[in-house]
Amino acid sequence: MSTLTLISDPQTATALLPEFTLIVGIALLILIPNLGKGTFRLPIPNTNIRIPYLFGGERFAFTSSPRIPGVISVFTLLFSTALALWSQMEEPLSDSNVWCIATTGEAFNSCAGMIEPSLLKIDGFSRLLEIVFYGALMLCGVAMWSRMPATPRFMIHAQVLAGRREDERIAKLLDNRRQVDFHILLLMVALGMSVVVLANDLFVLFIGLELASLSSYVLVAFMKENDEAPEAGMKYFIVGSVASAVGLYGISLLYLWNGNLQISELASSWQAMDSIDPLALAGLAFIVVTIGFKVSAAPFHLAAPDAYSGASSPVAGVLATASKAMGFVVLLRVLVSITMPESGEAFWVPVVGLLAAVTMTWGNFGALSSESPKRMLAYSSVAHAGYLLAAVAALGLNTSREGDHVVAELIVAAMLFHLTVLVLFKLGSFLVLSMLESEGRGSKLEDLYGLAKREPLIATALFIFMLSLAGVPPLSGFLSKLLLVSGIVDATVHNSMTFDDGVIAAIRSLHWVFLLALFVFLNSALSLFYYLRVGWVMFFEDPPTRKRLVYAPFLRITLMLCMVGTLAFGIGPLADHLLTLVSNAAETFFG
Amino acid sequence: MSDTKTSEMRFLPIIGLCLLFPLLRMFGGEMATGTPFTALESAFLIPLIPMVIFPVIAILGQMNHGDEAWRERFKEGGMIALCTLAISLSLTIWLAIEFFTKGSSFEDPLRASVFNWINFETITQDAAGNWIHLKSDSLGVGLWIDNVSMMLLFVASFLCFLICWFSLGYMNTDPVNKDRNHRFYAEFVLFTAGMLGMVLADSFLWLFIFWEIMGLCSYLLIGFYYERPSAAYAAKKAFLTTRVGDVFLLIGLLMLYDIYGSLEFAVIFGDPSLHGTVDVNMLRWALIMLFIGAVGKSAQFPLHVWLPDAMEGPTPVSALIHAATMVNAGLYLVARFVPFFDVTGHGHGVEGLGDVAILIAWIGGITAFMAALIAFVQNDIKKVLAYSTMSQLAYIFTGLGVALWFYNHGEHHAAVIAFGASMFHLFNHAMAKGMLFMASGSVIHEMHHAHHGSHDEMDPQDMRNMGGLAGKLPITSTAMAIGSASIIGIPLIGGFWSKEGIVAETWNAAALHGGTWLLVPAFLILLTAGMTGFYMTRMWMMTFAGKPKTVYADKVHEHTPWIPTPLITLSVISLLGGFALAVLGATHWLGEAEAFGTAIHEHGLVFAILDTIVHAFLPTDMFLFLITWVAISISLVVGPAMAMRIHGGRLKSGESAPRLISWILPLSSKFGRTQVDDLANSGLADALHRRLYFDELYDWAIGKTVIPLAYALSWFDKNVIDGAIKGIEWGSQKISGDVRKLTTGRPSDYIMMAVIGTFSILILLWGVI
Repeated sequence: MSTLTLISDPQTATALLPEFTLIVGIALLILIPNLGKGTFRLPIPNTNIRIPYLFGGERFAFTSSPRIPGVISVFTLLFSTALALWSQMEEPLSDSNVWCIATTGEAFNSCAGMIEPSLLKIDGFSRLLEIVFYGALMLCGVAMWSRMPATPRFMIHAQVLAGRREDERIAKLLDNRRQVDFHILLLMVALGMSVVVLANDLFVLFIGLELASLSSYVLVAFMKENDEAPEAGMKYFIVGSVASAVGLYGISLLYLWNGNLQISELASSWQAMDSIDPLALAGLAFIVVTIGFKVSAAPFHLAAPDAYSGASSPVAGVLATASKAMGFVVLLRVLVSITMPESGEAFWVPVVGLLAAVTMTWGNFGALSSESPKRMLAYSSVAHAGYLLAAVAALGLNTSREGDHVVAELIVAAMLFHLTVLVLFKLGSFLVLSMLESEGRGSKLEDLYGLAKREPLIATALFIFMLSLAGVPPLSGFLSKLLLVSGIVDATVHNSMTFDDGVIAAIRSLHWVFLLALFVFLNSALSLFYYLRVGWVMFFEDPPTRKRLVYAPFLRITLMLCMVGTLAFGIGPLADHLLTLVSNAAETFFG
Repeated sequence: MSDTKTSEMRFLPIIGLCLLFPLLRMFGGEMATGTPFTALESAFLIPLIPMVIFPVIAILGQMNHGDEAWRERFKEGGMIALCTLAISLSLTIWLAIEFFTKGSSFEDPLRASVFNWINFETITQDAAGNWIHLKSDSLGVGLWIDNVSMMLLFVASFLCFLICWFSLGYMNTDPVNKDRNHRFYAEFVLFTAGMLGMVLADSFLWLFIFWEIMGLCSYLLIGFYYERPSAAYAAKKAFLTTRVGDVFLLIGLLMLYDIYGSLEFAVIFGDPSLHGTVDVNMLRWALIMLFIGAVGKSAQFPLHVWLPDAMEGPTPVSALIHAATMVNAGLYLVARFVPFFDVTGHGHGVEGLGDVAILIAWIGGITAFMAALIAFVQNDIKKVLAYSTMSQLAYIFTGLGVALWFYNHGEHHAAVIAFGASMFHLFNHAMAKGMLFMASGSVIHEMHHAHHGSHDEMDPQDMRNMGGLAGKLPITSTAMAIGSASIIGIPLIGGFWSKEGIVAETWNAAALHGGTWLLVPAFLILLTAGMTGFYMTRMWMMTFAGKPKTVYADKVHEHTPWIPTPLITLSVISLLGGFALAVLGATHWLGEAEAFGTAIHEHGLVFAILDTIVHAFLPTDMFLFLITWVAISISLVVGPAMAMRIHGGRLKSGESAPRLISWILPLSSKFGRTQVDDLANSGLADALHRRLYFDELYDWAIGKTVIPLAYALSWFDKNVIDGAIKGIEWGSQKISGDVRKLTTGRPSDYIMMAVIGTFSILILLWGVI
């Protein structure tokens, strides 16, 4: 396969339009800020003929504006989102939307009859998740528009400047450079995540994972001016690379076992096994460890609170939403696509169930006494990972009524719904914190004191985000949690259930995974404490200052959109639309 | 006085404009639908507008706290309230006009459905698993307008308007209320919404809802001076006592729902016997439960203890809520019992409910007598009026009980007269008592004003500090005299016409129709007629006759704006309205919706007047003739004469009372003088001062039962429930701290944990296989 085929094949080019857009965006980010008055002197002696080639030299004021990189990356992501949506516009469930990219670079409309091994697979499921990723990264990009100067604004007055105009110009240029770095990394993350979700081959998947991860390590450490960010980035990198290494080792074990990393091939080999090969089992276990790190499941989550609190808030928001969604995609690919038996319970249910219980409890207890709102959100993100893992455990029960996938589809749809709306309210709350951060605060709960008196609307938004995280009706967080729990209940409650011998006996007759649903409830009750505390301090404590927050119109608009979305996706027609979308995606995942 | 004129004159145009609201509404209908809206289509606005204005006043008041323009132009929300009530009044009058011109009867009330709120579908699954539709029900809002609700609607909106007017003078000139009157007006308006809504409700459910709104406002307004412990206590007492009744009311409503499957008047009154299938016993208990609710609201024995304490509220509140409107809610509820009892062939009532009617009459008789007795010794002018209110409401209860008894015994004509007389008395009493309270408010206000600035203690409400005010407060004293006359039942004035009817019909039932059980209430209310004459005269004499008893009473003069206008208006109504309405046939109109003025129409005015007088004074039945004249003589002569002998006396020389009442004072001094100190210090007087020990009894009973239980529950709550919650909280925080210690901040530890996790997963997976 050559790059040329990839582009020359019109079908491939069409199928991969959103991803190509990202690549074009990255190229533009490199090119545009470098446009300048660079000239090339013709090598003729004694002459001074200079041919301008618009590259290098003194940069144009417009192209070196610090705003440009952000605009480029946000519009690239917006464009990609639009293309991804557009590609799924017609007949969401028909084969015309499914594309398989073979190793030759050709695109096929159906994956079934392919002779060559397929690398990437494009369908409703992957497109929906791409939209989630792009959306989250776009929000991050918007939040960065008003932040991230070369020297953080709250420190600028301490600098002694020589020659005002020149200094300004240089500062702008440096700003621009930093913005370029940041946004290139952002688009890289997007590209990596797209590859992960499209991958039809474990190795491709791993490459995508690494592309996204490495970029995100740098993003975490990006605010190098303060002490915490590099430290957090370093820790995240060390633990993450260990996890990746373990995962890669697992993949190599799988390769050793099967000689092929195609997901479909692995699945059929797994089905063919009489008893589970230790090699395959160990490989799978190691991959689960990597995923555990990605979705910050206990006990692999320990670097997450450090990373979240060290990173700038929008980046932490991306880690908590897009990155986690990516982790769950991998989990579904590995556990459901490969190892799910034809009928009966999957062997990994106890492990995932235990992981879920430990994760949600650990996360909630960790959040309970966290003084930093970002740490609190990090732990809450751990708890949410626990809820999703509980759904995966229920998925592993492989409950089927009359041999169909209805229950499984419901659970996957619930997970997708959760991951989608999570972008709105989890990232939304990180965006609020990012506004506080631009005045050098936001790492302590005290910084939220009396926010309602400074910025009533922003505080209301944050309060709604918190309620949604806690799962209060009628917000979308409630609906997603309800769907998850009802998925678990659907998977475990059987028709022959009877209350004749009392409630205890009835519950005993159920599969133990049902208890995870109760666990989710108990943990939600526990989590209310720290979510509501944020509301309490915002509305009832006295603010340290009456000053308004940073004026960032786009960020404010985005926040309001997040708030409206949190409400609208919880109840009403929009929620119905999203539900249709995610159930279609879930159907294509199994289809 | 010039201040009075200018202050009121300035606002008159605005109020006048508000009274033209119906025109706006008609015009609005013209614009919207092409035909003008009718009054019935606009009737839902009567309670809705005050309901909407309530938060407006409250919020504006908070926003403009202490603002000069707010205080002067808007009277701290009072002007908004007055305009609102003017709109409600104008809509009521419009509705009344339409009601009279279109005509209607009790059997066929005007009804308007405003909207359906919630629709219920009752469905069930049959054996085959099919869903069957059983019935659909809707929880909607509608209006029920018949002669009784029309009368009460008018009373309520008219008195609310006038008392709000009065409040502008009474509340806003008192420095104690400065900058918090908006709270008063907001609650006042909310109360009005509750009262008007209750009267218009077309189901027992909405009646109950508005009933509770009134209860809330009553609580809030009694406790208006919440910084005074006595006011806070009185508010709590009123709330809790009426709550006892309300719980029973709710039980009664649930029982009614159980019987009829609906709480709508239209459904229940359509056929209360359900084609004869209703269990009398069940219905009897339901009605008794409802009646207990009414007893609580209307302060009847044995739930009467809250009303005298409720006088802690500002006087306009006493006038409005605790005399003229809210306490009538219980009467209104009992008046709605008629269809259950009516077995006269005009309705579908249930036979065998006579004992409930007797119970109602007994409670009425006992309360009337007891309250009048306690009123003998009260020295607080408002407390006298409070007990008088209880006593007069009890009259109406007795009358209603008798009417229901007649209905249940098939005596249609007598039932109609008794019912009509009771409702008519409600009207007369509301008008007179509302005015009396406002007049007492005027006295208190001026006493307070005269006392203002001096340092010694003086209770401006205590009649022992007054005396000789007739010359100083001409309008007030005249109004008070007319109001007292109406309450006493002085022939030809206001309440006489209705009270005579109640007394006569009670005796009619007890003696002539075999209602032996009704003899006791009949005796009691006859006796009370004379006692009323005594305590009302006593109150008037102590306040207005004789020489001033304190220096402050000597300095009093009438000067507050806004106060006289309502007094004069109501004086005229009390003086002439009763007679006029009696001639027009109010009793028959209220009793069986016979059109107004039938007698005049058929026989001419002179005949109608003569007929009315003859009916009142010269009943054809010899026994009733006797009763009538006993009642007249004891209430007109015996009671007042005794009171004049004890408390009467001429004014200070040089002062003269207004002409209308100037003859009373010399008359009162002609009865001589009796010293009653011995009697006043006797055990009976002490018992009366202590309200016949009811409060002590309740305190004792509650102290023995509820309070220990409350302490036990409080202990349980504090130690067991709170302890458990605190324990959970403490434990969670502790675990949280421990868990967070695992996040050490060292990557090597994290990797260690990851390794442990990896091996755990491996081992677990191995174990599973």
